[in-house]
Amino acid sequence: MKWATRPGVHVDRAACTWLIRRFIDPNAEFVFAADIEAVPADATPFDMRGAALGHHEGRCSFETALTAYDLTADPALEEIGRIVHEADLADDRYDAPVAAGLDVLIRGLTLTGSSDYDTLAITHKLFDGLYEHRRRQLITGRPPA
Amino acid sequence: MGVSQAQDWVLLAYKLPRIPSTPRSAVWRKLKRLGVGWISDGLVALPADPRTREQLEWIAEEITDNGGEAALWLGRPLEASAAVAVAERMNAAVAAEYDGLAAEADAASAADPSARRRAVIRLRRELHRIQGRDFFACPAGEAARRAVEHLAATGTVPVRP
Repeated sequence: MKWATRPGVHVDRAACTWLIRRFIDPNAEFVFAADIEAVPADATPFDMRGAALGHHEGRCSFETALTAYDLTADPALEEIGRIVHEADLADDRYDAPVAAGLDVLIRGLTLTGSSDYDTLAITHKLFDGLYEHRRRQLITGRPPA
Repeated sequence: MGVSQAQDWVLLAYKLPRIPSTPRSAVWRKLKRLGVGWISDGLVALPADPRTREQLEWIAEEITDNGGEAALWLGRPLEASAAVAVAERMNAAVAAEYDGLAAEADAASAADPSARRRAVIRLRRELHRIQGRDFFACPAGEAARRAVEHLAATGTVPVRP
């Protein structure tokens, strides 16, 4: 399936593409469009104004996608949702100290002139690691060594 | 102040019904937290960059989700004085926040060590939040930062008679 979002990816879009490819559509193909009018007819738009998979009711797009695709039963994903929310919106809805570091790392990465596809290749690894870390912590109740 | 006529601004023109008042005040609080410059009733502006543009886009989405109207514009002032006036108001708002924070830090230095510790954590967080909406390097920021770090250092070095 084709999925479309805005170019110049940052944390919410990086997290959404990771979620889509890993939990929703392993063959996902990502395309970039400046706004919803420019999204190809066969693509599902996300994290853009006017998209169902966007910011709604105070949630970021990643949180919206978790609900839309019934992924809220996974507590590690829920926790990543809170981290992405704070990295993207910083509205102190959640206590997620990891968020500030994640925001800086991804923002810095985009400043190195890396293309959106290169950024996603790196951030997907980061989110794989974050997911594994949160998952192990939830199993053992302690931060993994 | 670092305002030039060449600076692009992202502008949000919006209308949101007065009733219900909850979405209206939620939007107002979010705009306040972003540190927007208020040009007139229902027209706010931020120096344009990818981040500020996106932040205002999502607020626009929230406004339309709640039955309001919102339009985003990218603009540049024809008169430098127009931008300076907005930037000065923005700067005055963050300066007041920085001054309040510095005063709190000074007041907390008389507290006991554990209350002081908690105050440092809270004030550092608050400082980061204010810095996030300080678009024109407000000079009061440095004094606030020093006041908080001074508080953090209080009591860590034995005072000599």
